[in-house]
Amino acid sequence: MKEVGYKFDVIVVGAGPAGSAAAYTLAKKGFKVLLVERGRMPGTKNVFGGRVYADPLRDVFDGFDDSAPIHRWVTKERISMVSGEAMTSFEFHTRKKTSFTTYLTELSCWMAKRVEEAGGTVLTEITVDELVVENGRVTGIRVGDEKVSSEVVIDAEGINRLLLERAGLVPKLELRHAGLGVKEVIKLSKKEIEDLFGLEEGEGLAWLMMGEVTGGLPGGAFLYTNRDSVSLGLVVMLGEAVKGVREHISRYVEALRLHPLLERYFRNGRIMEYSAHLVPEYTWPSLPHRLYADGLLVAGDAAGLLLNLGYNFRGVDYAAYSGYLAAKAVEKAHEMGGMTSENLSVYERLLEESFIMKQLRKFRNASKMRENGRLYSTYPEVLNSVMDQLFHSPYEVPKIMEAFKRARKGRIGWLDLIRDLLGMVRSI
Amino acid sequence: MLKMVVGIKWVPNTTSVNIDPKTGTLIREGIPSVVNPHDLEAVEMALRLKDEYGGKVTVITMSPPSAIAGLEHVLGMGADKAILVSDRAFAGADTLATSYVLAKVIDRLDYDLIIFGQETIDSSTAHVGAQVASWLDLPYVYYVTHAELRGGKLVVRRSLENAHETYELDLPALISVAMHSLNPRRVKVSNKLRVKLENPVKTWSNKLLGLDPECIGLRGSPTALSKIEMVPKVPRKNEIFRGDAREAAKWLLEKLRGEGLLELG
Repeated sequence: MKEVGYKFDVIVVGAGPAGSAAAYTLAKKGFKVLLVERGRMPGTKNVFGGRVYADPLRDVFDGFDDSAPIHRWVTKERISMVSGEAMTSFEFHTRKKTSFTTYLTELSCWMAKRVEEAGGTVLTEITVDELVVENGRVTGIRVGDEKVSSEVVIDAEGINRLLLERAGLVPKLELRHAGLGVKEVIKLSKKEIEDLFGLEEGEGLAWLMMGEVTGGLPGGAFLYTNRDSVSLGLVVMLGEAVKGVREHISRYVEALRLHPLLERYFRNGRIMEYSAHLVPEYTWPSLPHRLYADGLLVAGDAAGLLLNLGYNFRGVDYAAYSGYLAAKAVEKAHEMGGMTSENLSVYERLLEESFIMKQLRKFRNASKMRENGRLYSTYPEVLNSVMDQLFHSPYEVPKIMEAFKRARKGRIGWLDLIRDLLGMVRSI
Repeated sequence: MLKMVVGIKWVPNTTSVNIDPKTGTLIREGIPSVVNPHDLEAVEMALRLKDEYGGKVTVITMSPPSAIAGLEHVLGMGADKAILVSDRAFAGADTLATSYVLAKVIDRLDYDLIIFGQETIDSSTAHVGAQVASWLDLPYVYYVTHAELRGGKLVVRRSLENAHETYELDLPALISVAMHSLNPRRVKVSNKLRVKLENPVKTWSNKLLGLDPECIGLRGSPTALSKIEMVPKVPRKNEIFRGDAREAAKWLLEKLRGEGLLELG
């Protein structure tokens, strides 16, 4: 292993939201920063559903609103329960601008460009083979037969944290710790999107679907409207999916696109992109590893810092903010005299004090709730049966409770129902 | 010590090239570009010669500034110097105007050997190498799969469908590398760091070159595309049959027969 002739204060692995936020924050403070990315451009190796919350990014990046690639502000939320050829939806529409849709590739490139402007060095097409550990301390990265040294490495390699595994710092990722997200980006015109989904210019829709949209696999489906395309996909729990999957996972997205109640939206569309990626399912407090070591910090998906509520995902903004906090921790450790594990442990305190850990703790049982199979079959069926009785009884309309009793019969007992309701109230 | 110049092209990364039906030119918007893959083999051959005999590899391209990413890639592979030849005055060039500019650029460099790829994936003319050799009055061999120095001469192997020819060339010379003959190496982190921190891509404009506007760009391009006919798109029916394979075969045969595409004896 040959030492390259350049040394850095900080090396950040992965130019996703977490890595770029960390690199940007440190470069701005005058640290000598190297950000390495294995993709041909930042963002070519990551995937998200489609929505980002803006405020955490505003906290991290100066001038966010002036130049960030924002496609549409999500002003419309729709949640649907699907069974057979029926769907009951709940919709919320406002004019507030809190989260937006974009392409993650565009957003990642934008972030990496900020890093360069702040004085950081960004290298693409660089695959890190391992973290170099000497005397129990991370001293840099190995790429092929070359080593680049730094005082500290911030690992933002994403959920498939091979570097941490190879360094023996985390156990191998288990199936139950991950979900699988698959999606298509379907091209439509701006006007078609606005007409089809009842949006004005710059407005966007986030649509979550539960029930018979995932081909029987536990999980959910989503649709986000971009500027002139929609992102349509699903997230399934990997552990369960592995047992239940019957054909290639891309066929499940295709079936979703061809669903009789959804197909109308994509009739004039053209598929531009298909992608799949792992999603953290069990988040950090329940994972048995630390996020700091001598010469090392872990941020973003690699640290399991993603909030999945089932009806909403907070990934990109949590990742970026955790990268920002990792940068703050490096600053503090620098003031304290070096990148020792002890000094870097301030990172966990910063996380604890931030919204990230407060939220992850509050919702730590949300993933257990999502393991409940009734959520994906029984409840959508019951709900749609009630609606069907209320609106499609040609002569005699039942009372609501009557319709509910009939719908419930043979599907779920009172005891399970009450237990599920309580569980849901407690966890989310 | 071999002084080498390699010419590369920055091309849209697509197999389905979109052509503007009105102007007959390529639509490049929205399609990410890459270094023409066959040109990476030319870079690889230069780097192998450098590994073997020592030397210097200078890579040039004539392109809009976005090609800097491509030049950074070949510097990452190990090239020593990269020059982006870029000026609005060069825009709209056909192969003749392009090869003229490249020849003038190479004229300003010190070289023993010039290497090109066989052809580009976006236009496949394979003109530019031959034309540059002609402007510079150099011996030229194409479809080269292997090159080595022997007694001050360059010995190259040229692979044809049914024969391998061996040529002995006096230097300076120009060769173009047969596609799919070499596997381009990965970039090195030290090389990439050097690009960013010490050795950025140089840009040469026509201010520096001072070439006659009649010989460059659209005005220097005698090629006139008289007509472009688009191959009509066949509308796809997108019918999917689900179920038993035996049933599916029957269904497909019926469909094909119904369309008059198949006659069963």
